[in-house]
Amino acid sequence: MIVTVTLNPAFDHILFLPEIHLGSFSRAQSTTRMPGGKGINVACSLAVLGEEVVATGLLGGQGCPTFERALRNLGVTTSFIYVNQEIRTDFFIIEEKSNRQSLMVEEGTPIELRYLNSFKDNFERLLTSARLVEIGGSLPKGVSPNFIKELVLAANKKKVKVVLNLPENYLEECMPGTALFMVAPDLRENKSMYGLDIYDAGARIKISRKLLDLGVEIVILKYGNLNYLVATREETWDGEIDLEDKSIMIGVRDAVLAGFIHKYLEKLNLGEALKYGLGAGRSAARNRMNYPNSKKEAEEFLMMAKVRKVG
Amino acid sequence: MKKVRDLITRDLTSVTEDTPLKDVAELLSLRGINGIPVVNKNNEVTGWISERDLISSIFPEKVKIENPDVIGFMNLSQVVKKLTQVGQAMVKDYMSKTANAVKEDTPASDVAELMLQKDLKRVPVVRDKKLVGVVERASLARILLEEGSFE
Repeated sequence: MIVTVTLNPAFDHILFLPEIHLGSFSRAQSTTRMPGGKGINVACSLAVLGEEVVATGLLGGQGCPTFERALRNLGVTTSFIYVNQEIRTDFFIIEEKSNRQSLMVEEGTPIELRYLNSFKDNFERLLTSARLVEIGGSLPKGVSPNFIKELVLAANKKKVKVVLNLPENYLEECMPGTALFMVAPDLRENKSMYGLDIYDAGARIKISRKLLDLGVEIVILKYGNLNYLVATREETWDGEIDLEDKSIMIGVRDAVLAGFIHKYLEKLNLGEALKYGLGAGRSAARNRMNYPNSKKEAEEFLMMAKVRKVG
Repeated sequence: MKKVRDLITRDLTSVTEDTPLKDVAELLSLRGINGIPVVNKNNEVTGWISERDLISSIFPEKVKIENPDVIGFMNLSQVVKKLTQVGQAMVKDYMSKTANAVKEDTPASDVAELMLQKDLKRVPVVRDKKLVGVVERASLARILLEEGSFE
């Protein structure tokens, strides 16, 4: 079983409208609401791809039963710690005339220490059945990245593989002294890491080498819409897949990661796993939800992925 | 024949024997449920704690909750004293050690019988003793209404 951790989950709202009138009135023609947050997105994608997956994290507010039911309907097992606060609401606005896509996210409310302690106890119990843990997304106010490091160390102690799907500043704090199976830095805001531009091919190699030198087994870097570099100490692969014009990018990066994890655990082959991930990502981009339409569609699309060994 | 795996709610919300009762009360209230599995550090089910266990932890054992009028026999200082004790109590002090757990391949009709006989609203589902979800009476009722039977 795979466990995904989302400490700061959100209700994602995708609003579809012809165009937004900033400073004026706009009405969405349709809206999609769904559970969101990086770990949640990965859990949904893994479930669609047939993995047994447990989503855990902190959940609160009146919408929680709906949130959990939506996950369970997809086949995700839920194991959340309930807090007496509302979770975040995120808005993804798609202007259909221009296909401009904007994301606005809330920061999240502070979490009491007793809930974090309950979460950690529950997480340690889940580790007894887990073969891999994926930790992704932002942190609620007042929670330090060191808390994630504690989770990683707990997983290390039980010899459970850990995947971190986090921004650079969190990774810097979590990585020293831990054993990491995979790192997928979230570079959506900065488009750079270690001061190196992610769009520069040479810089991407340098970033991956720095992470591998810190002991990470696999590095997965996204650049462009669906362009990826994956690297281990032994080999480096580059891959891409074309997207349709009206693709919806919410959750796509997480679907690629889920597809990659799913296939890599099965085949231990970097190139095949990258192809599979790209297929899953393209299927998610065709879906109004934040996960692939189906396993069948993801597997059809992987044939369109172009991957090559670059080192 | 329908099995538990066809109607399981895959939710692992649970408490441990060392969870304070006040935290259980908050959890049941936030979740809107009336009982919850108790697990050990390996996620193995060791019992069950319900609203009824919480209420009977506050009132003297001789008081039956079916007859709330007798609560009047307690004076205020007794209630305050009892609440203080309960505030420090843990799940292990009041849980039921009979969890009535079922497996994923248990026939739905057997679970229905168990729930009716023992007046249970939720029962835990285990695989190799570990919690994998719960069956809720509402799910059984829904299947019966949709399909007319468990066959």
